[in-house]
Amino acid sequence: MEMVRTAFEHGADAVYVGAKGWSRRRAQYEMDDPQIVEAARYARSIGKILRVAFNTLPASAEVPLFLSRTDALHAEGVRDFILTDPGLMMALKNRHPDTILHASVGCTIINVQDALFYKEAGASQIVAECRMGTDTMRKIRREAGVGLEVLVHATTCFTLLGRCTMSSYTKHDHRVDAAGKDHFPGSPNRGGLCYRVCLTEWDQVGAEGEVEAAGVTLPNPAFFLVDDIPGLIDLGVDTIKIQGREYSVALVGEMVRFYRELIDACVRDRASFRIDPWKVRMAGIVAERDAERREKTAGLIGESLGR
Amino acid sequence: MQPFELIVSVACPGELSGTDLSPYDAVCLGTPYCRRVEGNYAEDVDLLAGAVSRIHDMGRKAYVATPATPREADLPHVSLLVDAAAAAGADALEIHNMGVLRILREKGKPVPAHMGAYANVYTHLAAGVMRDAGAVRVRPNAEVTLEEMGTIAREGRVEVELLVHGKIPLGVADRCFLLTEPEETDPKCPKACREEHWLASRDWVLKTVGKGVLSGRDMCMLEHLPRLVQDGFRVFRLEGLYETEGYRSEVGAVYREALTRAFAGGEYRLEGRWGDVVRRHAPKGLCNGYYFGTAGRKYVGSVLQDGNSGV
Repeated sequence: MEMVRTAFEHGADAVYVGAKGWSRRRAQYEMDDPQIVEAARYARSIGKILRVAFNTLPASAEVPLFLSRTDALHAEGVRDFILTDPGLMMALKNRHPDTILHASVGCTIINVQDALFYKEAGASQIVAECRMGTDTMRKIRREAGVGLEVLVHATTCFTLLGRCTMSSYTKHDHRVDAAGKDHFPGSPNRGGLCYRVCLTEWDQVGAEGEVEAAGVTLPNPAFFLVDDIPGLIDLGVDTIKIQGREYSVALVGEMVRFYRELIDACVRDRASFRIDPWKVRMAGIVAERDAERREKTAGLIGESLGR
Repeated sequence: MQPFELIVSVACPGELSGTDLSPYDAVCLGTPYCRRVEGNYAEDVDLLAGAVSRIHDMGRKAYVATPATPREADLPHVSLLVDAAAAAGADALEIHNMGVLRILREKGKPVPAHMGAYANVYTHLAAGVMRDAGAVRVRPNAEVTLEEMGTIAREGRVEVELLVHGKIPLGVADRCFLLTEPEETDPKCPKACREEHWLASRDWVLKTVGKGVLSGRDMCMLEHLPRLVQDGFRVFRLEGLYETEGYRSEVGAVYREALTRAFAGGEYRLEGRWGDVVRRHAPKGLCNGYYFGTAGRKYVGSVLQDGNSGV
């Protein structure tokens, strides 16, 4: 709740929170229902939006849990959700036509036809896959009739996000909570916890066991599309999104304020807006963020090894 | 009617002609990973009619793979591929991307769709959405357990395909890990992914095929075939991509014999020579994926893991 308040206070128009057991993060970065309801009320009270992430890919047996949980949140006035499974999307939209659904980055939407598919499943806005080019974004805006959401501050996995099971190949457990939801530790698609094994050091080995390259990683860089923001605004994207849940509250506040001020400056005077001065300030945030990320990655890889 | 269907995937003409197809009921043509693979049936549409006809003449079904991660610029090719597969009389298209499924639907579903391993089918509800868009068969994501697959088949009202042997698909990318230069100019392309490259760290081993990450260990369900029969599954895949002719031919023969025995009922006994073949072709060991709720690299069972532990 502290992070939700901080994000709003520092200029966010909307905040995504994860429903415990159901979002692409582990439980410590998720909220239970009373917290979600409180956050949604707070957002409404200040004229902003709280969106609730149910964007993991559950088991079929968990569908009734999903429906009862979203029913309860809907009864409390929550209307905005972000999902991945097209079947869950359609079920929720049919059950509650007044809900507003976004298709998560986990949907791996990479072309206009993908966007149209998820629109037909009930989404009114889609998250662009992290490497989507502006031509495709423009085409989606023009032809798909859905809102477009772009991550400007996130990480790009080597594999397409949402289509990777490397983590759970190495370590995968089952932890069922009191509500009966499996958190699928080790599976980012199913439970949100990714051990980031792509970032461990690998030896590339040939057919005869010869080491072709030592200490390689599967590239998974953090990215900051600060240069692209003016172009994204010109292009008319509906939501510029910052990935932040796993960072400290202070860093999240700092990042949100930075992007808010940058966007406002750009919109206020597009003709004379120059990005270079912003990059200096950005460098400080990047250093802070990378330090937090390195520490977390080392911890996750250690955890996957049982350390 | 055949009691079961055993499918093998082959990428290109060389793989097709070099593989003994007698163990198989169907062949999936083409690789979904990279359009630049030489002779990729999913790319060179002029090859499709001949290949489909040849497979049909052998009394087998022919499916055609589509690109797993088609960017917008790839969609005109996908449209051509759908038309070519239909014109060639292919029995189904293997689809991983929802945009491709939608293109097929918009064309009036000229070919049935089989949803591939990267289509992210995890629930019966998703399977139902895909069924309504033209899918008659789904291969659930590798992480889905056998129990969940049963639910998807039953409640999603679609046929479910299972990987019974071979590398498990773990990830797909649109950049090649094996190249240092852009793929158009790097002299290593397209040869690099035809060679064998592994990624090893601690006791983990993965196989890289450039734009795909596969399990190091081979999924092996030989020991568990009676369970699959009992659960009502009848469509099985042997992953033949990025393997040798000997792999596809010899491991296929083992599974033809084993599945025939499992479907006949009665006592099911593993032959020692079956184990010898699958072990010989699995230098990094065996596993059975996520089917029993474990991490994908684990082997659950009591027979074939011997001698493979710690690999």
